[in-house]
Parts: sequence; C-alpha cells; structure tokens
Amino acid sequence: MKKKLHILFLFTAISTLFMACVKDTDFNQTDDIVISPVVALDFIFFNINSENFSEISPTNLVVTDTVFFDFLNEDFTVDNLIKADFYFKNKNSFPIQLITQYQFLDENNELNYEIIIPINLGSISNPVITEYIEIIDENSIVNLTLADKVVVNVIASSTINNIDGILNLESKICYYLRVEQ
Amino acid sequence: MKNLITCVFMFWVISLLSQNKEVLYGLEETPQVMLLNPGSRISYDYHFGLPLLSQISINVGSSGISAYDIFQESSVDINTRISNKIFELKNTDFFTATQQLELLNFGWKNKENYYFSGGIYQEFDFVLYFPKDLAILAWEGNANYIGKEFDLGEISASGDLLTVYHFGANKKLNKKITIGARVKLYSSILNFRSTSNSGTFLTRPSESGNNIYEHIVSNLDMNVNTSGITSLSELDTSTQITDKLIDSALFGGNLGVGFDLGSTYEINEKWTASASILDLGAIFHKKDVESYQVSGEYTLDGIELLFPPLGNGTSSTPYYDDLIDDIEDAFTVDTIYNSYTQMRPVKMYASIKYNFGRKIGGDEVCNCLKMGENQEYNQSVGFQYFSVFRPKGPQIAATLFYYYRLSDYFSLKATYSADSYSYSNIGLGLVTTIKMVNFYIVADNLQWYSNLAKAKSVSLQFGLNIIIDKNE
Repeated sequence: MKKKLHILFLFTAISTLFMACVKDTDFNQTDDIVISPVVALDFIFFNINSENFSEISPTNLVVTDTVFFDFLNEDFTVDNLIKADFYFKNKNSFPIQLITQYQFLDENNELNYEIIIPINLGSISNPVITEYIEIIDENSIVNLTLADKVVVNVIASSTINNIDGILNLESKICYYLRVEQ
Repeated sequence: MKNLITCVFMFWVISLLSQNKEVLYGLEETPQVMLLNPGSRISYDYHFGLPLLSQISINVGSSGISAYDIFQESSVDINTRISNKIFELKNTDFFTATQQLELLNFGWKNKENYYFSGGIYQEFDFVLYFPKDLAILAWEGNANYIGKEFDLGEISASGDLLTVYHFGANKKLNKKITIGARVKLYSSILNFRSTSNSGTFLTRPSESGNNIYEHIVSNLDMNVNTSGITSLSELDTSTQITDKLIDSALFGGNLGVGFDLGSTYEINEKWTASASILDLGAIFHKKDVESYQVSGEYTLDGIELLFPPLGNGTSSTPYYDDLIDDIEDAFTVDTIYNSYTQMRPVKMYASIKYNFGRKIGGDEVCNCLKMGENQEYNQSVGFQYFSVFRPKGPQIAATLFYYYRLSDYFSLKATYSADSYSYSNIGLGLVTTIKMVNFYIVADNLQWYSNLAKAKSVSLQFGLNIIIDKNE
C-alpha cells in the first residue's frame, strides 16, 4: 500500500511538472510595440561675410550652396520618419535684411519642400538674432523624405559689397521616428 | 528593431536559465551528481546512462524581468510597460540560457574502491547583460538627454556551444572524507565574446560655438572575439553546416582543458559538509578565429557650408560624403585573426547539512532504507552556496534544502533559493531507483508553474540511468 502511495505521489509530481502553463498573457501584443525615439542632430552651420557675395560679382545678391543628405530618402527614413522639427538660429550683423532659403530637392532637382526665413538687419556692435522653427508634420513629411539634397540660398535685399557684417547660422533638427511592425 | 525585441522576449520566455543546479546537487542517488561534485559519496558499483537520455538540462533566466511583466493582459499599453522596465532594469541585470545534453555517461568501481566515471555532454551557454544606456537611446532617442553620457561599454555578451569529454575518479579515503577529481577536454564548436568594451556617446550644447550641439563619441574601444563562426557563414547547404558542427564537436574545433575538484566531509554522525569547484580551465581558440575591433573618437557638430563661388557646370562640395569619410577615418575597424584564450565560467558549490530522522544504512544492523554505506539517517536539512563567474562578476545563490528518503526506491529534495533572479525560488527533485533503473527529475521556481510567464527563471533536468549495486 505504501509503495503504491509513493508511486502515485511520484506520478502526480511529475505530471504537475509537465503541466506547467503560461496564462494571463497575450503575446500578440508584439504587434502593438512601437519604438518612438526622438533624435536631435545638428544640421548645417555657416558664417557669411560680404566677400562671399562679392567673389561672384560686386553686385551679386545671392550666394548658394548645396549639401546632399543621402539618408533623407533612404528606406528606413521613408518608412519611419513621422515628423521633423527644424530650428534655425541666425545672428546677423549686416545692416541690411537678408533672406535664407532652404530648398529640398529630389534626384531630379524638383522642389519638394521649401523653408524661407526673413532675417532681421543688425549691426556690428549689435548683431540681431532671428530664430525660426519649422515643424514638418506627418502630412508633409513625405515631401522631406523625397529629397536627397538641400540647396541653401542667402539673399540680400540690396548690394552687400564692402559692407562689414557676418551672417551666422546654427541649426538643428529633431527627427521623430516611429518604428513598428 | 521591433522584431529584435520580440525575439529577445520570446527567447527568454522559452529559455531563461542559470547554471545553478541547486536541487540536483547532493542527490547522491543519481550518477549525475558527480558532475556537480566529483567528491560525492558513491554507493553503487557500476552505472551507465541511457545515451541522450541520462541528462537533459535546460535553464533560462532573466535577473530583472519576466514575460508577464511585458505581455500581461492589462489595460496599460505594452509600450508603457516596456518603457517602465527599461528604466527599472540595471546594467548589471542579465539574460542567461544554459542547456546540457548528455550523450554518454558511465562509471565503475575497481577493486581498490576507486570509482571511475566518464562521459560526453554537449553544452550551450549564453549570457547577455542589459545595455541600459543603449536601450534608453534606442527607445527614446537623445533629444531629451542633452548632456547625458551614454555608456557604450555596457555591451557585454558571450556565448558558447561546445562538447565536453570528461573522466574522473572518486575515492573514499576514510570514514569521513571522500574526494574526487575530473579532467575535462573541451571541444568548442562555436564561441563569441564581447565583454571588454568602453566608450561614451554624449550630445551637449556646443562648447566650440560652431553649432547648437556637439555629438561626441569618446574613447570608443569595442571588440568581439569569434571562433567557429566565420567558416560556417561560408557554407552553403545545411548538410555542410551539420558536417562542420559535428567535426568541431569531435575534437575538430578549438580545444581546451579543465578540471573539477570536490570532496565530502562527514564531520560527525549528524553533520556533513561538501564542496566542489567546476570548470577550472580554459579553451584555446586557434582555428577559425575572427575578431573585430573598433576604436576611436569623434565630435560631430553638423556640416559647415562654405558657399564657394562655383561656375556653371561645377559640382558642389561633397559635404556629406566628406563627413562620412571623416567619421570612417576617425574610427579604426580591424579584423584580427589572432588566437585568444577563453576562461570557462568557474562554478563553485558548497553545502552543509544536518542529518536526522530514522537511522538507515551505514554500519548499523538495519534492513531499512539503503541510502549507501554512509547514510545514517533518512532525512536532512541544510544550506548550499553556489556561484558562477560571469563577465561582470559572480552570480551567487543561497539555498536551504530538505531531503527525505521515503523508501529504498524513492527520495525527494525540496529547496528554497535566493539568487540573482529572485529571492523565493522553490525547487523540487524526485529520484526513483526501481531495480536497476534510476530516474530523476528536478525543477525549480515551482511556485510559478501555474503560470510560467511570471517566473524570472526556469530550469528543468531529468534523466535515466542504469545503476548496479552488487550488494543488492
């Protein structure tokens, strides 16, 4: 009788070990996992003086440069970038108004997005800071991710030849990503 | 990224395990106890394990998180739960998985009362420490952490797949002391190790004044050692891969040597102490070795536009390509083929127990429970200590146990352990020896068996042996 009880106990104990279960869980929730990092990155910076204009011609009113950003139209960015905040900080000591223009062009040089920032005039002794925030939301972000380069134009409202002054730009972008299945 | 997270979670659901076999340790009715303490007391004359069935052992664990913590049915969003856990876990928390499959196990006692034993088992061992800073960076980005240094050196992981050939001897020196030793030959099949990393990533307001921020990678020095992996990636068919793995398992891979030492000391009739040290050795990786090293530092503050006067047809300055080139130049990436030595994770056990209950065995005139020539009582309580050395220091466990020999064919051991995974791990081991057939099954974290999702670690060992005692 005692032996039978022992065998019964053994059988019950082993059965219990193999009857372990997982409950009150829902592994389908993996479909709901969303990774949403916000990545802050420096964008471009520059310092422009009158020589940048006059090297082209004494009456030149526009200087231009182009920077390629190959990652903007890469698959990961296209699939997961949902919003981008641009911040531009312009410090102007030119005694004239300027305009900075950022044109986001695609591979065919077609314009997809444009940011235009009027810059207040300043002076050597009192540079004026003009801050500008451009928020590109979910509805417009596709225009950004079609681009592979940015053309930057700095436009003077009148001739800048031999005028002392500097236009300084600092800028950053916050990229809002949403990575999901 | 999401798939990676899912895989990690699923992996730990099915495989979390530590290397502690706190229930099996001291269960002297099973031959496998000699693999935990080669100085265990042996009361039979021969044994051999059923090939592939004499010990199947899996152990999976996470020190700080259970599957239930993340996947519970709840009104709280799963992303909130993941976020909370990322901040709750420490960089010393870890995920581990260990698996052993015994291919062969045998032993015999000679005329001089030495008990020799040997065998072959396959082992997989993996540990990954939680890289908390990197997890925060991946989960939330750096925008809300301006000024915080992210520690890239938190990356620490190692993995081994190997075959172990072992042979040991056990001898009862006198009525009080039994000692044993085992030599092991390791045949490594696969190995990777990335444990000595350093470096930081910082985004801070610019100190140079060039731009808004500076993104700084400082003192980056990261490395991964691998062996047995490169040649696999060059094989095309599963047959070739299988052949290669089998060849590596049969001394065709990287070899190593190690030792186990152990002893049991019967202090008096009531008290018994034992201790062992296992895997005191190393594997020397010389074949199919490929290691990668990245070092350097870099400060990024955006792209400076120069507005050069360009004529018609002149291409613009390749700022972005130049930036990528600068970054690549700043970091040296080396592929190294030098051999390296990998220390095995040394494990230590120690225990002391108090024997009580009904007198059995020994030299007493008794026809009751035959526990072996040394066992005096059919019950005992005691304390066990276990530690295993891991890349970031030892993982330690303390165990209280109760042993009860119910009959000459059935005994059990119950344990309560506090370890890196939890402070309340309840384990149970059952051993039966009917005629010559010895069967054992051991599991822990039984309090979670009604819902394993809540367990931070799970381990299970079972096996079948044939034991022959000429006195029976």
